[in-house]
Amino acid sequence: MSDNHADLIVLGAGPGGYACAFRAADLGRNVVMVDPRATLGGVCLNVGCIPSKALLHAAEVIREARHGDDWGISTGKVSVDLEKLRAKKESIVAQLTTGLVGLAKRRKVQTIRGTAQFTGDKSVEIDGTTWTFDQAVIAVGSAPVRLPGWPEDDRIWDSTDALELREVPPKLSIVGGGIIGLEMATVYAALGSKVTVIEFMDQIAPGADGDAVAILHAALEAEGVTIHTNTKVNNVKATKATLTLSCEGAFEGTIKADVAIQAVGRRSNGSLVAPKAAGIEMDDRGIIHVDAACRTNVANIFAIGDVTGNPMLAHRATHQGHVAAEVALGHSAALDTSLIPSVAYTAPELAWAGLTQAQAKDQGIAYKVASFPWVASGRNLASGGGDGLTKLVYCPDSHRLLGATIVGRNAGELLAESVLAMEMGATLEDVSLSVHAHPTLSETVGFAAERALGTLTDL
Amino acid sequence: MSDIIVPPSVRALARQKGIDLEKLAKDLGRTSIAREDLDGGKPAARPPSDTSYWDVDHSQFGPVTEEPMSRFAQVAAANLGAANARIPQVTHHDRADVSAIEALRRELKPEAQARGVKLTALAFQAKALARALREFPRFNSSLSPDGKTLILKDYVHIGIAVDTAHGLMVPAVRNVDRKGLWQIAAEIFDLASRAQNRKVGPDEMGGASMTITNLGGIGGIGFTPIVNPPEVAILGLTRTETVTVWDGDMPRPVPMVPLDLSYDHRVINGADAARFVSYLAALIADPRRIMV
Repeated sequence: MSDNHADLIVLGAGPGGYACAFRAADLGRNVVMVDPRATLGGVCLNVGCIPSKALLHAAEVIREARHGDDWGISTGKVSVDLEKLRAKKESIVAQLTTGLVGLAKRRKVQTIRGTAQFTGDKSVEIDGTTWTFDQAVIAVGSAPVRLPGWPEDDRIWDSTDALELREVPPKLSIVGGGIIGLEMATVYAALGSKVTVIEFMDQIAPGADGDAVAILHAALEAEGVTIHTNTKVNNVKATKATLTLSCEGAFEGTIKADVAIQAVGRRSNGSLVAPKAAGIEMDDRGIIHVDAACRTNVANIFAIGDVTGNPMLAHRATHQGHVAAEVALGHSAALDTSLIPSVAYTAPELAWAGLTQAQAKDQGIAYKVASFPWVASGRNLASGGGDGLTKLVYCPDSHRLLGATIVGRNAGELLAESVLAMEMGATLEDVSLSVHAHPTLSETVGFAAERALGTLTDL
Repeated sequence: MSDIIVPPSVRALARQKGIDLEKLAKDLGRTSIAREDLDGGKPAARPPSDTSYWDVDHSQFGPVTEEPMSRFAQVAAANLGAANARIPQVTHHDRADVSAIEALRRELKPEAQARGVKLTALAFQAKALARALREFPRFNSSLSPDGKTLILKDYVHIGIAVDTAHGLMVPAVRNVDRKGLWQIAAEIFDLASRAQNRKVGPDEMGGASMTITNLGGIGGIGFTPIVNPPEVAILGLTRTETVTVWDGDMPRPVPMVPLDLSYDHRVINGADAARFVSYLAALIADPRRIMV
């Protein structure tokens, strides 16, 4: 065995890659993990989930401070020291990425900084050095999609740029009203930008429940965000003074912006690892398709996370990472669920899993819905929460939960109960008979179930 | 989402054990699978039992030999065990005067020989039973698996239990109520002889309204047959015996066939069973009434 040999090589140290590497190491494999970043954690820790949540927390503090007057609490004008905020965000990221280094060391996972490309089905080249391997896991993630035809300009950002918090542009346009675009709208609106969101589909957060989205839409507008749905950006002109976005559709006209963020989705990084050299099939969107056990078409090579397509979410990658490690070590494992929760950490948060009402209808699945409006939640009112909704989709015969959507404060946390309920095959009765603490926001899930059963006395 | 409820940890365990959950659920007749079901899921048709009674070393008491139970016999045993365990069964005993049937059979013997068909007493019993089933529709029914619905059948097929070398088989004669005695007798003979050679197709078994199990050719004065599910009753016949019947002060010898009707008490009550068997006995005693 040469020095440059890995029993298992993991390409990428994001949430999928490190979960896979660590799980394989825990199962006794010698693992090498390769990533071009200086720090571990991939997009999620460095320029994604974590820094965005830090900024969203700051945004919430700002909003709470501004809205304190109703409660008799006045703070005066809220000022933001961008440099300090940036430093705080970076210290949180550093704490987590450094923590990962420790976790890797403890497991004796060797980490190499570099870019790996396949040269065969048993070898990769890492920045000029050849490594051989018995098994490989591709976990190289995804990158923001760049819209074609846009000028090269420093004022056109992607999500990574936006999280750098270089400045607070007075006028900010966000193209794409998906989760990332809406989170950036939430952050920059709180920081003081005049934000406009332009979404091509007929609603923001496409794919989410329409009733829930309407609540988020109204809340964003109340924070001063302008939203244009059914609108397409045709052309972008950059002059020294401003960016001009020409729009058509429901909104026809031009929008002037100091900065424009492109948030129209992410593209698999599959092509970066030269998969063809190993005989791995990849589609024209750069996606490497895998089965439930995360196997590619090449027996000893696995792929996990964003590189395997939608939904491109860290928690899916983590689960796939464990599956790939276990299967690579000869265990029987699979990502045996379609329940991957989606969460927009906006204000209010929007979270859902399983079937939405619209999906159930489109797919011809027998369903009923039950919802509980948060205006009737004592905890929500007592904690200054705005509008919210808990909505369950269920089977009218078996009463099994088929889907859940929650919009409101902490919706992302509240969703977990419904996901567990669905995985366990719980019925409305199971949910309503489980005692929820009072007063909590989690009660709204029990209340929605009670409402469906006709046993609710809180409405 | 699958229609079968299986918690994630049980799904993972099933994967490790290589268990097909869809198939297991089907075998168990269930919509949810729990962890303990993965430990050799027991088929639904097995009697709930503590088998330790049979866990005995018989050779300690004397010499023994072993003989494997055939697959056929094992299936039959499981079905009989399930039927006996699950159906609350009662057996009603009566007897019927067969003088008229015997006279008619004697009378028709030359014609039977000419036709090459043996006109058996069993053919008459089947025909009479078919008529009785038309008169008492509840006896020609089946329960739904959940026990919530009674399915009444607008056809009369009679199952004939046949004792063969490899075990008990129950082919069915279709539409007995619409067939003549010659045809019924011929079909019973044909099915019974093919059953001996295991040449009865799956489509020729099942779907019976009621089964007749006839020990008349062997002997006995009565027995308690086990209902053959999903049917709700079974008619047992033993050897015709000449008994003394008193017409006032006058003793008269009358050939009587014992009738033993075991029935599913969930569907049929004792009074109904008594009425049904009385009616059947009257048809046998005076076969002209089958036509009326």
